[in-house]
Amino acid sequence: MTGRGKVAVLAAGMAALALPAMAHHSFAVFFDETRTVSIEGEVTSFRFTNPHGTIALDVTSASGEVEKWRVETTAPVVLQRRRWSRSSLRAGDHVRIDGWPARDGKPYLRLRSATVDGRPVGQAFTVGED
Amino acid sequence: MRKLLIALAFVASPVAAQDHPDLSGFWAPDFGPVERPQELMDKLPDDVGMVEDTGVEEFPRGEFGELVLTPFAEDQAIEWYPETEMSIARVCLPPGIVYSLQGPFPFEIHQFDDVIVIRYEYFDQTRLVFMDGREHPGEGYPHSKMGFSTGRWEGEELIVETTHLAASTITNNGLNHTDGIVMRERYRLSDDGEQLMATQWFRDREVIENDGARFISWSKREGEHVYPYECDPSFALEYQGIGAE
Repeated sequence: MTGRGKVAVLAAGMAALALPAMAHHSFAVFFDETRTVSIEGEVTSFRFTNPHGTIALDVTSASGEVEKWRVETTAPVVLQRRRWSRSSLRAGDHVRIDGWPARDGKPYLRLRSATVDGRPVGQAFTVGED
Repeated sequence: MRKLLIALAFVASPVAAQDHPDLSGFWAPDFGPVERPQELMDKLPDDVGMVEDTGVEEFPRGEFGELVLTPFAEDQAIEWYPETEMSIARVCLPPGIVYSLQGPFPFEIHQFDDVIVIRYEYFDQTRLVFMDGREHPGEGYPHSKMGFSTGRWEGEELIVETTHLAASTITNNGLNHTDGIVMRERYRLSDDGEQLMATQWFRDREVIENDGARFISWSKREGEHVYPYECDPSFALEYQGIGAE
C-alpha cells in the first residue's frame, strides 16, 4: 500500500469512529449577539416545548405586506424560572419582540424580551442564558 | 446489644460523610464573570488549551478557543453545516457530558459515601460517579453520553475521571470528539459553600493535538429542583418552516 493509500484508509477509519450525535444548536452559530432587532405583530402560534419554544407571528410592514416571522425562545425549562408559562402568549396577542437576528438573514430571531400590549412577559435575557 | 450496634451504625454514617465537603444540592450556572481560584487553575497542565465558551454564548462557526485541531477534525468542522442538525431525527439527540457540562442548565447532586448521583436538567440525563474504589471497565463496556465515572477526594476537592464516552460534540459548532476521549473534572466549593467551581480537562488525540480545559462555576439555590426536559423534536419543523409560508 502506498503512503497516500494508508492515509486514506486511516481517515476512513477515523471517520467511522467519530460520528457524533448532537442536538440543541449553538446560539453563536445561528444568531448575531452583537445586534438586536425589534419586531411587532400578531401572534399566530406559541409552542412551549424543549429544546426551544417558538413564537410565530405576522408582522405587517409599512407597505402593508405581511411577513411571517418566527422567534426562538430559550428552553422552556429555563423560561419557567423566568415567569413564563405555556399560556404566556396566545394566538391573536399583539406582541413586541426584541431579539438577536439570525446570521443567515432569515426572518428568525432569538428572544431577548417580549411585551404584550406594553406589558412585559417574564424576564428579559442576556446573551448566553439558554 | 444488636439494637445498640444498629443505632450506632446509623449515627456513624453521617459523621463519616462529613469528612468530605458536601456538594449536595441544586446548582445553577453562573453567567457573569467569576473569580477563578488560583489553586484550582494551577492544577491544570501547563500546556492545556482553554475553551472559554462557558457562561456566555457558545463559539460561532470556526472558533475553538485554544484547542489545536487535528487535520481530521479541521476537515470535519469545515464540512459541518448547522442546518443539518435541525432535523426531526437529530434535534432531540442528547449531547455528551464533555459539552453539556458547560451548558446553561442546572443540576442536582445527591452525595453518598459510595456513589454520587448527578441529575442534569439538560435532556433529563443522570450520571453516577462511583466512589467505592472500583476500576474503570475494559474495552468491551458500552460507551454512552455520560460515560463511566469514578471519583475520589483529594483534600477538599472531588476528582472525577470519566471514560467510555460515546462520540459527541465538544463545542457544538462542528468539533466533535471520538469515543476515545477521556475527561477529568476537579470540583471544589467556595469558602462559604454557596458556589461550586470546577475545571474540566479532556484529551482526545484523534481530534485535538493539545489537551482541552474549561473553568465552570455554579451557584447553590436552596429549595429548587430540576425540571423535566422532555425534548420535542417538532421544533425542527418550526425551523424548517421559516420563510417557507
